Amino acid sequence: MPPQIPHPEPGTPDLGGPLRYLWWLVRCQPWRALRGSLLGTAWMVGLSVRPFLISRAVDDGLRAGNVRALAAWVAAIVAAGLGLAWLGIMRHRTMTFIREDAKARSAALVLRQLARIGAVLRRRAVAGEVATVGGSDIDWTAQVLTLTGPGVGAVVGYAVVAVVLWSISPLLALCVLLGVPAVGLVVGPLLRRLDGAESVYRQQQGELTARSGDIVAGLRVLAGVGGRGLFARRYAARSRDLLAEGYRVGAVNSWIDAAIVAVPGLFLAAVVWLGARMTATGEISVGQLVAVYGYVATLVVPVWFLLEGSHQFIRGRVAARRIIALLALTPDDVGGPGPGAVPGARRPEPEPEPVPSHPADLHDPVTGLTVHAGWLTGVAADDPADAVALADRLGRYVVSDVTWGGRPLSARPLDEVRARVLVAEHDSYLFAGTLREILCTRPGTGDERIAEALRAASAEDVTDALPAGLDTSVGGRARTLSGGQRQRIRLARALLAEPEVLILVDPTSAVDAHTEGRIAERLRTARTRRTTVLIATSPLLLGRADTVAHLHAGRVVATGTHLDMLDRDPGYRALVDRGSADDPTAPHRVRP
Amino acid sequence: MNGLPVADRGTVRRALRGLIRRDRRAVTLLLALHGAAAIAGLAPPWLLGAIVDRVGAGAGVATVDRLALAIGGAVVAQALLSRYAQYAGHRFGERAVAQLREEFVRSTLRLPVSVVERAGAGDLATRSSVDVATVGTTVRDVVPTIVISAVQLALLFGAIFLLHPLLGLAALVGLPSIWLVTRWYLRRATPAYLAEGAAAADLTEALTSTAEGARTVEALRLADDRIVYGTARIDRLWRARRATLTLRTVFFTVVEASYPLPVAAVLLVGGFLLQAGMVPLGAVVAAALYLQQAIEPLDRLLQWTEQAQRGFASFARVLGVGLVPPEPPGRASPPRGERLVVRDARFSYPDGKDVLHGIDLEVSPGERLAVVGPSGAGKSTLARLLAGIDAPRRGVVSIGGCPVTDLDPAERRRRIALVTQEHHVFIGSLRDNLAFAAPDASDERMRSALATVGADWSARLPDGLDTPLGDGARQLDSAEAQQLALARLVLADPHTLILDEATAALDPTTARRTERALAALLAGRTVIAIAHRLNTAHDADRVAVLEGGRITEIGSHDDLVRAGGSYAALWRSWHAEPRDETTAGPGPRATSPRPR
Repeated sequence: MPPQIPHPEPGTPDLGGPLRYLWWLVRCQPWRALRGSLLGTAWMVGLSVRPFLISRAVDDGLRAGNVRALAAWVAAIVAAGLGLAWLGIMRHRTMTFIREDAKARSAALVLRQLARIGAVLRRRAVAGEVATVGGSDIDWTAQVLTLTGPGVGAVVGYAVVAVVLWSISPLLALCVLLGVPAVGLVVGPLLRRLDGAESVYRQQQGELTARSGDIVAGLRVLAGVGGRGLFARRYAARSRDLLAEGYRVGAVNSWIDAAIVAVPGLFLAAVVWLGARMTATGEISVGQLVAVYGYVATLVVPVWFLLEGSHQFIRGRVAARRIIALLALTPDDVGGPGPGAVPGARRPEPEPEPVPSHPADLHDPVTGLTVHAGWLTGVAADDPADAVALADRLGRYVVSDVTWGGRPLSARPLDEVRARVLVAEHDSYLFAGTLREILCTRPGTGDERIAEALRAASAEDVTDALPAGLDTSVGGRARTLSGGQRQRIRLARALLAEPEVLILVDPTSAVDAHTEGRIAERLRTARTRRTTVLIATSPLLLGRADTVAHLHAGRVVATGTHLDMLDRDPGYRALVDRGSADDPTAPHRVRP
Repeated sequence: MNGLPVADRGTVRRALRGLIRRDRRAVTLLLALHGAAAIAGLAPPWLLGAIVDRVGAGAGVATVDRLALAIGGAVVAQALLSRYAQYAGHRFGERAVAQLREEFVRSTLRLPVSVVERAGAGDLATRSSVDVATVGTTVRDVVPTIVISAVQLALLFGAIFLLHPLLGLAALVGLPSIWLVTRWYLRRATPAYLAEGAAAADLTEALTSTAEGARTVEALRLADDRIVYGTARIDRLWRARRATLTLRTVFFTVVEASYPLPVAAVLLVGGFLLQAGMVPLGAVVAAALYLQQAIEPLDRLLQWTEQAQRGFASFARVLGVGLVPPEPPGRASPPRGERLVVRDARFSYPDGKDVLHGIDLEVSPGERLAVVGPSGAGKSTLARLLAGIDAPRRGVVSIGGCPVTDLDPAERRRRIALVTQEHHVFIGSLRDNLAFAAPDASDERMRSALATVGADWSARLPDGLDTPLGDGARQLDSAEAQQLALARLVLADPHTLILDEATAALDPTTARRTERALAALLAGRTVIAIAHRLNTAHDADRVAVLEGGRITEIGSHDDLVRAGGSYAALWRSWHAEPRDETTAGPGPRATSPRPR
């Protein structure tokens, strides 16, 4: 039966270790796994039916010259072949279902973890790891589950052949039973060496691919500045290194492959030799000798499965470990009461305090800044790092002593803080989708509201220029839009979210002065009577604020209206009015 | 959007033949070795047939011992031969792959920027990662496997024909159904597997973008949206995988059901021949065993054919990059002088609308011109025309009397540099990131170039110029990356600089520092700065206001302010001077709420 994918709920995985995680993936689909084992076993055993039937056709039909018996055995060979084909495809389907179920389950788990864990991911810079997990680890982990079908089948198939051989000759059977571990012992260490040689190669290959991707990404820079020849030479040099490494891997690889052919082959020769002697002395029939040959030849299949399986197992275990590491990440501690926070979970949310259910002032003791409810507050920081840290504290992305309506911000349930306070960074992420999907982060946002927000962000031209307007799809990070367009779309998105407190960090840094002036004007109207913090140094924006705070060396050194501040605070004037004639530090040019 | 070209079948075949011809000796050697190995592999069933015959004729243990020893010898010989055959094949594959990827990178580097931009960087990126890798696996693993399997099959069937032609004919039963179902399968498999691959890549993209945008997900509470989005991708991948599974179900069922048919036919025909006394029993036994032995190479051959077909498609895409005509070499004689002249330049993007409607502009050597205007006015388009990246639809852009697009690309880069807010840090050391702008620059010059643009951080790097940057090594923030880009320019030393909002992506303080540093770079050069900060305009010799694809005002800052046009209005609001227009709406204080 095909599994139900996507899973409505992927379940709670066992993160106690890679093996336990793998076992959990099996336990999620016990009946399918059992079916896989049975089909895998039946198929593997079925492989040895044909040699038996051929041997009977030789003994009873050909040697005896009995046409009827020959026809009967030949019919049996065709029937058995059809049955085997059916078993083989059912096995493949069931195993595919088992692997796909595991992949979809892992993907769903990783997806939920990534979506819910939040800001910690950026700090840990795990995007690259996620690409590895999503791109290959999930697949490799699922591949291990193949062991539940053909893996089990290989062991059983092997045993069955041994039993059949026992009925022909105990001595031959003994040979087979001892021969298997021997094959494993010879090939096992080689396999590990293969892994080592390949890993270096794969890594170098990955680096080389990254380099060609790097060249593609930087093509415009190279076109502007030159240096293409240098990059071609540098790439070629790396490519040659990989070539040498490839030769080395090839040398090892080919020996291993030869051993994989030779070891079972020699084993077969030994068994045939014994069998042939027995035939010569009349202990077994010619047909039985042919059957023995066929049995041992079919044993190559389970041997191959077991060798391949152990290879996959090694790889899958490493992959599962990486998945577990990602699933075990915990969110940042952003404060909140409750002693003895349990690792692996957010701190238990406190009982909601009775305040503030209505708009209230935010106060940051570190800078001394007070954000009045309902005001448009401008913050101009000498050091942009101070501004970023301030936004992090006000938005509770770090532990701080910020108060909201006089009570600690960290005492509120985090979800409520996120719902009511929005820190909109100038580089916040734009996901792939239509513009409408990007803009509407709240359900049920009508086109009218979207149009208003786009107007406030002076971004009407962005949608007007696109072929399908709001329904135009843009790729991840909206790379097809210009920097200024992206920034205005971000601003419109933040406005549409309608948070009670909106903290805008450099919302117009990539926008030209004409547009910035328009945004400054419309932003006021869009946020009338709603708390808004504007972290910027543009006079066009700050001129529109109810009050402006100047942040110097991490503290608020002056507050007032923009015009007052220009008069009173020379530092502020220098900060926002850079380039003006009365700024002595500005690069002033004498014009003719 | 014009995609990059894809090579046609003929070109791909020629390229494949070229690969083989270039390494003809290695190919001959590996084919000979594989053939020999396959012949050694034929020996055991034949020897077993001999044992059957001799024992039937009453031979003793000594004969059996000799024949069994020969089987062992054949196995060892086969293993050794196939080892060297594989090694030769592997080396050939590695060489071919190295050649292909280097050729691909060379072709990529030759691509004109306008072509890349039209095609979209995504296409090229996919070719450089997915397609080059697919071709690599195909050449390194798939083609050798197919060659080996084909050689083995040919020898096995040949051996059966040698035993008796009628046995050989009987062995061919079953091949027609396999051939038909393979054709059916191959016609459908490649698109289905490509769809599966695309769906898998989409899911990975959903996961990585969720990780990259994790803070945004948290801030805007998009977690549920992302889960819905990702779950839809999981669903799509599952559908794609079921489609390919259905194809395999049909394919493998027919193929596997065809396997017993030749065995049955050989036994029946063998029984008839045996009774007629035309073949010995051993020959029939050997033929049946050969057929049993043929299953494995046939399986491999069929399994890898689809992969080979896909490799063929990827190869066509990889070769396609080399089909783009490179930037034409310069047609014009080197320009005399550096005077930049634009005459009635009009430009439209392929979708038709004119972006620039007749621009006339002259910039003298050493002059600084600032271009301001609202977004969408065509400022960046003008910058690209000036830099010679695009040619005007009508009119001309010339430097020293010579159209910029007619200049030799290298010559043009030496004279005119376009700096945008887009920057890129290459994987490699800091030195690697600078050296390509001026290959002979000394470390001292590099350090002073970095100092010129105010990249103080570079002096604090642990390994100085040798510090690795990018991709897993030290990551530069956008300010540092932009300073690095500017330092490259100091080294490249072009006469004319076109700055398209070069500092727009920087935070204001860094932008200020960088702009100050830029002043040092700009000294003595012709500078055209597309500006969104008015102070840049204020510092320029002349300011051009671009609105709706036309230059509406041009002149010195003071002149324009005096003239009282749109620039003057902007300047006043920037300076927070009291507004004289009444259209600007109520002043900030008028509407400011007093909640308490």
